[in-house]
Amino acid sequence: MAEEYVVQMKNINKVYSNGVAANQGVDFNLKRGEIHALMGENGAGKSTLMKMLFGMEQPTSGEIIINGESTVLSSPSVAISKGIGMVHQHFMLVPSLSVAENMVLGMAPRKGIFIDKAKAIEITKENAEKYNLHVEPEMRVADIPVGMKQKVEILKALVRGAKILILDEPTAVLTAQETEELFKELKGLKEEGYTIVFISHKLNEIKEITDRLTIMRNGRSMGVYETKDVSKEDISRLMVGRDVVLNVQKDKAKPTDTVLKVRNLEYVNEWNKKMLNGISFDVRKGEILGIAGVEGNGQKELIDMLFSLDTPDSGTAEVNGKSIISIGQKKVRDAGVSLVPEDRMLYGIAGTASIEENVISDRAGSKELNSGPLFNMKAIHELSDKLIKEYTVLCKSSAQQVGMLSGGNIQKVVVAREFSNDPVLILADQPTRGIDVGATEFIRKKLVELSRSGIAVLLVSADLAEVMELSDSLIVMHDGKIAAYFEDTTTLTDEEMGEYMLGLKEQTPEEIRRVCHD
Amino acid sequence: MTKKRQLIFSLVRGLLAIFIALVVAMFLIFISSEGDNAAEKLAATGEALKQLLVGPLFRLNAAGISFEGKRLADILAAMIPTTFTGLAVCIMFAANQFNLGAEGGAMLGAFSAAVIAIYYPLPKGVHPIVAVLFGGLVTAIVMLIPALLKVKLDVSEMVCSLMLNYIIMYIIKYLMNNYYADKSKGQIQTYPFLNSSKIAMLSSDSVISAAKLTWGFVIAIIAVVICWLFMYRSRFGYQIRMIGINQDFAKYSGMKVGFIIVLSQLIGGFLSGAGGAIEMLGRYPTFSWSALPGYGWTGITIAILAGNNPLFVPFAAFFMAYLQKGCDMMATYANVPTQLIDIVQGVIFLFFAAERFLAKYRQSLVVKTAQEEIAQKAAQNKEGGQANG
Repeated sequence: MAEEYVVQMKNINKVYSNGVAANQGVDFNLKRGEIHALMGENGAGKSTLMKMLFGMEQPTSGEIIINGESTVLSSPSVAISKGIGMVHQHFMLVPSLSVAENMVLGMAPRKGIFIDKAKAIEITKENAEKYNLHVEPEMRVADIPVGMKQKVEILKALVRGAKILILDEPTAVLTAQETEELFKELKGLKEEGYTIVFISHKLNEIKEITDRLTIMRNGRSMGVYETKDVSKEDISRLMVGRDVVLNVQKDKAKPTDTVLKVRNLEYVNEWNKKMLNGISFDVRKGEILGIAGVEGNGQKELIDMLFSLDTPDSGTAEVNGKSIISIGQKKVRDAGVSLVPEDRMLYGIAGTASIEENVISDRAGSKELNSGPLFNMKAIHELSDKLIKEYTVLCKSSAQQVGMLSGGNIQKVVVAREFSNDPVLILADQPTRGIDVGATEFIRKKLVELSRSGIAVLLVSADLAEVMELSDSLIVMHDGKIAAYFEDTTTLTDEEMGEYMLGLKEQTPEEIRRVCHD
Repeated sequence: MTKKRQLIFSLVRGLLAIFIALVVAMFLIFISSEGDNAAEKLAATGEALKQLLVGPLFRLNAAGISFEGKRLADILAAMIPTTFTGLAVCIMFAANQFNLGAEGGAMLGAFSAAVIAIYYPLPKGVHPIVAVLFGGLVTAIVMLIPALLKVKLDVSEMVCSLMLNYIIMYIIKYLMNNYYADKSKGQIQTYPFLNSSKIAMLSSDSVISAAKLTWGFVIAIIAVVICWLFMYRSRFGYQIRMIGINQDFAKYSGMKVGFIIVLSQLIGGFLSGAGGAIEMLGRYPTFSWSALPGYGWTGITIAILAGNNPLFVPFAAFFMAYLQKGCDMMATYANVPTQLIDIVQGVIFLFFAAERFLAKYRQSLVVKTAQEEIAQKAAQNKEGGQANG
């Protein structure tokens, strides 16, 4: 019976060094010659699980059995030698080298001390034909389309002897035609006995191509199913349910004037994918407008546009009647916009600088903190001490390095800065992702408090519980569009939300237009 | 990690790097020293080591050891240009701009100041000030080339400034050969500087003037203080440091990243140019450099030793000058080739620049601190619990 499975992962636990428990008692197995979907929202633990299978991470506890043999996958090269190959979402190719050279990277045929290019091209051609994956061996990787890059990646894994292929969101970057082609090729591979793990949250694709699926949520497996036995609605319910219901006390919002007015934003990204498709909405004083949706459906791009980090192809965005499109972060901030960034380590802090230096980064030039050409150190100490106290940042002193704090306290430093600059509009992008319960609750309360004091809040969150509990009204983004608008979040059910988030349902344009309070 | 542990770590790391460098140097001296057998070689090496470590300040002879004021003055005088280039590199490196142009900058500043000193007569007190400022400004403007190319076209400032050093050097050589050389002299040199342009010695004492210890030393120390205030007590220095730590964060916070990057290199250019100018007007009667002076390279070592903190620059500059003097002493009294200092410098540089050097030791300190904190917290909780109970 055990032989039926090529891979068995038993009771896998993974705790990262920052204390995040990404996998908790996960069981996962693969049958020979199947296409197996691994589903779940971002942060559900899919990538962690697959990284462990590919030897990039080590499980904290648990057992991995490959072909009936208990195995320790200490590095990707060990995994490759066991016949496991992985195609990452962001391709691991050398753009300046040719397809053939990429193909033989690290195992290149030699002619003396040089790489035998003719041989490399031959190997590539041979394999391309054998696996029916058409690539141009002599072209530079930088010059080939995304679809072909992916084939190069798959071929690369196959050339290295992979029998089990892990594809991490392979269709995220592909056009519809490319996707179709990929599916044909994957089915071909399956018939030849290859096993494929397909990570995705696109329900239609899953239904079309996979045999079985494993659903993950919050680091736990929600079970293994035969694809044909479960409906899309079932999957959506299993994927996006709420585990914990939070209770942040808030009275009913009394929204007044419109602060942020977004109209018809359009944006096509560098891979020619339409990330924003006619986005229009308003955020008013005194309300929290939530944006729900599976990650990668345009939320990141929207925030980038609203904070001048990128330029839309068309459309407008105004704060109190003033355009904020591509005017630079300084002017956006001057217009009263604050951003709690999604990636706090990248944008939110300077890790090796002190807490004090981090809380003044947006106002270092302000009159209050300067006297003549020099800083007014007294004012700066006072400000940072006040913020540390008000936001209960756990630290030894304001001179402590921010990077040494825990995730929750780092985020408190970020929000302390962003909330204390008299904003008229707060963009909160995943404000509580990956931080402890205490800090999460604190930040949520603060958001409600600020909105009730007359600040407009736009909350983007992949955490369904958060976005539903905190928001006064809610829009759902799917595939670059607003799929639904709910004026009142109190009557919403998780099931309904899941259907909109995964694109099973969509409101009429008239219903959606209600979010523009003209 | 606590501040104390951080300090201990930095000290241990620095001293160990120096120690390793010395061991390597000794090994090389041992190989190259004169002597017929190991014992003789060892004795020669010992002698060389003594000269290296003690020689810079003390005279060693049969009569014993005696302090030499002249040698100390020499060391302090040698610190003047390298303190300036060290500061220049600090400010550029702090912004994460690996501009290596301080080398050519020092030469350009010296040359520009020389032109003023020769051809533009000015009153006594004013002349050197104008010449030094001019030298600094010209260099600052030239430093715009790598800075703007970096900001506008994303050209590597490292490559650009490195090449710029040689462009500066050859342009100066060209100008010297064709326009500025005093044709009546055997070597390529300018006409003598006007007397009004000379930078005065700190005192008329013969030791001081023999060592050419000028007011430039005082100016260098003042520059250190100003640079420290600028970097740690002003909004511009703050922005430079934040950009150096995390450029994305700086941009997101609304800082004008491009402007600040250019600013840091303008200031770096000014400081290196002014340093070269002060050295030129304080030490030489005419401009006769035909190659890069080396102050910029030393400045890089100094900035790295100082951890980009202006306050530590004079100490690092002293250390480098001391080492240079020690090697001179070894060359004079122990027949050790003076090139050895480059090797010693190189090894120290290597260990300081190696981020992972002693990383395990550092990690153990971090872990220790964390464990103590946890234990402390647990103890507090216990106390709290008892109090509640």
